[in-house]
Amino acid sequence: MNAVNTWNSTQHFWLIILGFIVAFIPRFFPLMLFTKRAIPEWFNEWMKFVPVSLFTALVVKDIFIDSASYALLLNKYSEMLAAVVVIIVAYRTRSMAISVIVGLIGVFILSMFMA
Amino acid sequence: MNKRRPNPKQVPDPNEPLWRSTLRVAMPLNLSYIPIGLACGILLHAAGFNTLLTGLVSLLIFSGGAQFLIATMLTINPPLLSIVLMLFFLELRYALLSSSLSPYLKGSSNRFLFMFAVSLNDENYAINYLKFATDKKWTGREALMVEHYSLLFWAASNVVGSLIGSALKIDLSIVNFALTALFLYMIVMQIKNRLTIVICLISGVLAAVCMMLTKSTLGLVISTIIASLIGFGLEATLRKKLPDSHWLWRLRSPGSKKEAVEHSDAN
Repeated sequence: MNAVNTWNSTQHFWLIILGFIVAFIPRFFPLMLFTKRAIPEWFNEWMKFVPVSLFTALVVKDIFIDSASYALLLNKYSEMLAAVVVIIVAYRTRSMAISVIVGLIGVFILSMFMA
Repeated sequence: MNKRRPNPKQVPDPNEPLWRSTLRVAMPLNLSYIPIGLACGILLHAAGFNTLLTGLVSLLIFSGGAQFLIATMLTINPPLLSIVLMLFFLELRYALLSSSLSPYLKGSSNRFLFMFAVSLNDENYAINYLKFATDKKWTGREALMVEHYSLLFWAASNVVGSLIGSALKIDLSIVNFALTALFLYMIVMQIKNRLTIVICLISGVLAAVCMMLTKSTLGLVISTIIASLIGFGLEATLRKKLPDSHWLWRLRSPGSKKEAVEHSDAN
């Protein structure tokens, strides 16, 4: 998180516009299509596994992959432990806010002892 | 989320104005957006977004995952196309959410569907889906109001976060863990049976391997496609060959139906 970003505000603006378009397409077109006709079963069955696969991949990227060299990292112990705590808290409380706050406090305290 | 509603059995006041009854439904979500929105605003500020653009991205993209992703990816200066492609795959899950809401929005005009789609989000989806399924009087109009309330709170907390970020020096590696925690929470909420846990493990290993091979976040896209297809194939095969397989048993998890779980506890 220490590399300095070199983009300017115009580039950020175009990123937002393009981001809006790719965020809008999957939200709108299924809604428009399937309020008028039935949803194909295979599409639903496949899409069911997309969120889980993607979220897991993103968590692995955050905890086990170095963001600059893409090498495997196995020494982020405070993040790993905090992740276990977050899973337990999320399972028990079902609350997004509590999970995130506990995770932040957890990684803060753990990194003081383990960094 | 519903747990913290003060009194769910409360008799609804027939004279309560619509804006207040929908606000009451949306409030637990609104409050939980505040800390996450603040963290997201701080990170976007650190990634170089000014406060105005932070407000704009919160209104237009309105997705915690996507905005955190933008903030993290900008720090490694990737090509624009690579960020947009990652966002597309991240947002692809909304195809599932919006198609599962579509039975409740039959007969709505395209203009209404446009408005509804723009402010759809994981969390307000969860609330609206539950309300549509349990409350006969819940219509698209009420659902859209819940979406707008959550959008307002999200955008406001992001803007405040951006202002905090410009005023204080904050350790970003810790704030960045908010995203990891958010994704972990969403994984836990998605787990419905043992097969899902297997897919998680497969996806995790695939993601690491693909990212090491491609040396880019494109590995995330590849591993997501492969892992979801494996899940799709495995489930279809198990259903056909071993319909009683314990891999398909529902777990007592947030992902399985809440009411059913509570009932089995009471018995």
